[in-house]
Amino acid sequence: MAQSFSAGVAATRRSRSRLGLLFVAPTFLIVAVFFLFPLGSAVYFALTDWDGVSPTPRFVAADNFLRMVGDKEVWHALGNNLIWVLVGTTAPIVLGLLLAVVLWSGVRAVLFYRLVFFMPYVLPPIAVGIVWSWIYDPINGWLNRLLTLVGLGEAARGWLGEPDSALYAVLAAAIWATFGFVVVIFLAALQNVDLDLIDAARIDGANAARRLWHVILPQIVPVFFMVTAITFVGGISVFDIVFIMTGGGPGNATSVLGTYAFKNAFQLNDIGYGTALALLITVLSLPCVMILNRVQRALAKRGMGD
Amino acid sequence: MPARARAWVARWAAIVIGVGLLATACTGGGSPARPEAGGDSNTITYLIGQPEDAEQLDLIKQDIATFEKDNPGVKVDLNVMPNDNLRAVLQTQLRSGEGPDVFGYDTGPGFAGVLADAGLLYDLTDAYDKYNWPIYDWAKERVTFGGKILGVPGQVEEIGIFYNKDLFAEHGIDEPRNLAELKAAAEKLKDAGITPFAFSNKEGWEAGHILSAILASSIGSDGVAALLAGEKPWNSPEVIGAIDLWFNDFRKRGYLPPSPNAITYDSANALFYSGKAAMNLTGTWMISDITKTADFEVGFIPFPAEEGPGIFAGGLGGGTFVSANTANPELAIKFLDHMMSPEYGVWSVEKLNIIPAYPVDTSGIKTSPLFKQVLDDTGQMASGAGDFGYNIDVLTTDVFNETMWDGLQSVLTGSATAREVADDLEEAFQSSTGE
Repeated sequence: MAQSFSAGVAATRRSRSRLGLLFVAPTFLIVAVFFLFPLGSAVYFALTDWDGVSPTPRFVAADNFLRMVGDKEVWHALGNNLIWVLVGTTAPIVLGLLLAVVLWSGVRAVLFYRLVFFMPYVLPPIAVGIVWSWIYDPINGWLNRLLTLVGLGEAARGWLGEPDSALYAVLAAAIWATFGFVVVIFLAALQNVDLDLIDAARIDGANAARRLWHVILPQIVPVFFMVTAITFVGGISVFDIVFIMTGGGPGNATSVLGTYAFKNAFQLNDIGYGTALALLITVLSLPCVMILNRVQRALAKRGMGD
Repeated sequence: MPARARAWVARWAAIVIGVGLLATACTGGGSPARPEAGGDSNTITYLIGQPEDAEQLDLIKQDIATFEKDNPGVKVDLNVMPNDNLRAVLQTQLRSGEGPDVFGYDTGPGFAGVLADAGLLYDLTDAYDKYNWPIYDWAKERVTFGGKILGVPGQVEEIGIFYNKDLFAEHGIDEPRNLAELKAAAEKLKDAGITPFAFSNKEGWEAGHILSAILASSIGSDGVAALLAGEKPWNSPEVIGAIDLWFNDFRKRGYLPPSPNAITYDSANALFYSGKAAMNLTGTWMISDITKTADFEVGFIPFPAEEGPGIFAGGLGGGTFVSANTANPELAIKFLDHMMSPEYGVWSVEKLNIIPAYPVDTSGIKTSPLFKQVLDDTGQMASGAGDFGYNIDVLTTDVFNETMWDGLQSVLTGSATAREVADDLEEAFQSSTGE
């Protein structure tokens, strides 16, 4: 009797694990086909000198990675990525947080504003890049016309054609497209903020800035770090909007690791080196995410997060 | 499984998936869906870059319909792709054995030369013998790689200055016959509030055409040929002078629109069409567009030399190739043969304003005076009677071209000198031709 009972339990367990495997199989298949195989393929190509057409690429071991160290354009592109990460992370978070707090504190028609601010985020970056290129156009662009109209014609320029302004002009377009996402996420997080604490702080004489810093922010720290991580990694792996708006130019003024990887892989037929550069982006992104994740968990343990 | 081990596995799984995700995003991959090559013995796929205007595309479709009508049961599937994407997509497709049967592509070492080296192009040498296509020898050389003829040359082109005759007449300017007269004309136009040259360089390749046109006149066809053969260095004083002339001198004098690196090719052409700019230094592939759009009379001259009118830069603008993997080589060659017919030549000249690289009887063709001039010029080029410079970027490697395009953009912004760019060109030429 006992034997047949334990045999029944074992059979149930087996069928359960088979069912479990069945459930995870599609996900595993997707991960294997779309993530693991391309990853293995990328690592393989990064170790070769493949030109994109040769059927027998030569194995060059770590040559492509060593080449990166001496390639001054890699460092230049990395510098631009750093600017992108710093400005492209800070600006949407500051703007998004302030706007979210304003909307949360009793503005009418919040849904309308939420929709308006979020709209750019759902646009494909290619569309954003094309539209902003029109805005920046030195001949027919709205921006120069507007500047001329308000008496600032002196400031009118070819925004995307000058090395001093091109990167920041593209960044501005990217920030415009991103900050609506930050607003919506922060607005959602703010719904969980304890209003009694804010009232107490107000009674204690804390001004708006102090209430934001000492009362509101600590309560939304996990979301804050999640948004920071997303924009941070986006800054390291940025490609599409830069490629559409400037192609990395003028010269190499707006070149970032993503556009430089593309240029090597698909314009100079140096797929091996281009893939190695793409892996560099990956390697740079991972520690950032892991550090942010650890900070978030540490804060959570101290009772500042979830 | 212990908790620590589970956490370890979970962490590494997360890392592996994350790396995979980013690598996937960064290495790109994937290509647009297309019909399978050779699936049907009576069907071939034909891939071309996006034509200059929609009307040209319609005409190409009409021509394909004519070919299909003349060959009952045969079908040509036309695929059109933005020119900027063509190289990356085509190489990937051909390599995977799924490319189009027939495709239009640039003929230079950085384009068809790469495909030829990888054995991805069908050898057309026997087809040339069989059909006896009357293609000019110099054009045939441009599609010959390793002793094999691997393509059919496309259109013959020139690069020079299109100018607004009405604006010139209005301001009492005669057609410039040397560099000093060109500068005097530009000065006069600038003083009248007109931008002398409708120059754009956002795409980067425009600057290569400018350099080609200036070098053609300043050092002649022999000089440019010596540069391309590696007999004359790219950092020679003449090249530095040519770069300085346009990208520094003309820019500083105000002959070019402000921030040309921010202006697209289409916007610059619009400047010319609207009369805001009086001259446009570009190629004859724009003739059809100019004829349709400009409501003023247009003249076409070479970029002048110091002492005389100078010569046009010219050459072959791309070609048509057959994939080595095609399942229908006979049908593909038949399609090429259709493009070599006298009727197609006349149709191409008359309708597309494109000049094929073989003799065409143009006596009965009605054309604009502008196109007639180009027809006569290119007729000379074809027969070897005239003296023409070279369009550099179709004869050099992709490494050289990228260096040239980036470098000349940098000169325009003042972040590189003409000498530095010339040195980079020489280095790129030596490194890429030595490979």
